[in-house]
Amino acid sequence: MLNRTNAPRAIRIGVAACAIAGLAGTGIATGPAEVATASADASDDYPIPNRILRTPCTAEQIMAAARDVEPVYYQRYMIDYSNKPVADQQDAQDRIHWFFSLDYPGRRQYAENTATNAFYENMSWRWPNWAKVFFNNKGVAARTTDVCMNYPPSDMSVWDR
Amino acid sequence: MKRLTVLVITVLASLLSAAPADADPDTDFTNELHTFGIYGQKDYNAWIGKIMCERLHNGVDHHAQDSVDFVKKQLGKDDTDAQAGQFVGTAINYYCPDQRLADR
Repeated sequence: MLNRTNAPRAIRIGVAACAIAGLAGTGIATGPAEVATASADASDDYPIPNRILRTPCTAEQIMAAARDVEPVYYQRYMIDYSNKPVADQQDAQDRIHWFFSLDYPGRRQYAENTATNAFYENMSWRWPNWAKVFFNNKGVAARTTDVCMNYPPSDMSVWDR
Repeated sequence: MKRLTVLVITVLASLLSAAPADADPDTDFTNELHTFGIYGQKDYNAWIGKIMCERLHNGVDHHAQDSVDFVKKQLGKDDTDAQAGQFVGTAINYYCPDQRLADR
């Protein structure tokens, strides 16, 4: 039975026990979450949206679609593009043409390479947003790939401003 | 003295009322859109108006109807074809008056 002098001690012991139980509970709760977020691999939707991995459209078709359905996004990209040196502009074109020439496994492997190795894509060091209109936004990718097949596949005027 | 006071008040009043009208074409453009019941973000609508002009200048769009089709896609779902047409007319007045001939 608790008397007056023993009561505060019992309360202290109880509080300490609760704190230990709480810490243990927290450890159990956060453990799996930490494991889940530790992965740096690419997924089927990251860093390149799945629609872009699978679309049969060319870079020019995607851009023509973006010009119509995401004009502000397209315009921002083109402003950025036109402020780059001519060599970077040309290499960005060549690199995105190469990307869209790949089949699905090739594009998926490229996504994996860029996600796991920051030095893999040389263009990203010269122009970090070099493929922004293609890769960076799933909503944009969805809207452009919905209609891109309605545009000419090799109309290079989409690169002009 | 009384005449001078009246003159000073008149000049001040005209300065105050004249200043906002020319301050920012985007604001005036937005205010005019409101008279047609076209709302939305000011910067966005202004940018759409300027892009619309650029498309007429560089030949992506050829006629006012092309511009109406383009603008219609960028406006809210509840906005009508008529409002898209009003947007085009207003944007041409503010951002590319040289394209008024295209407005046919």
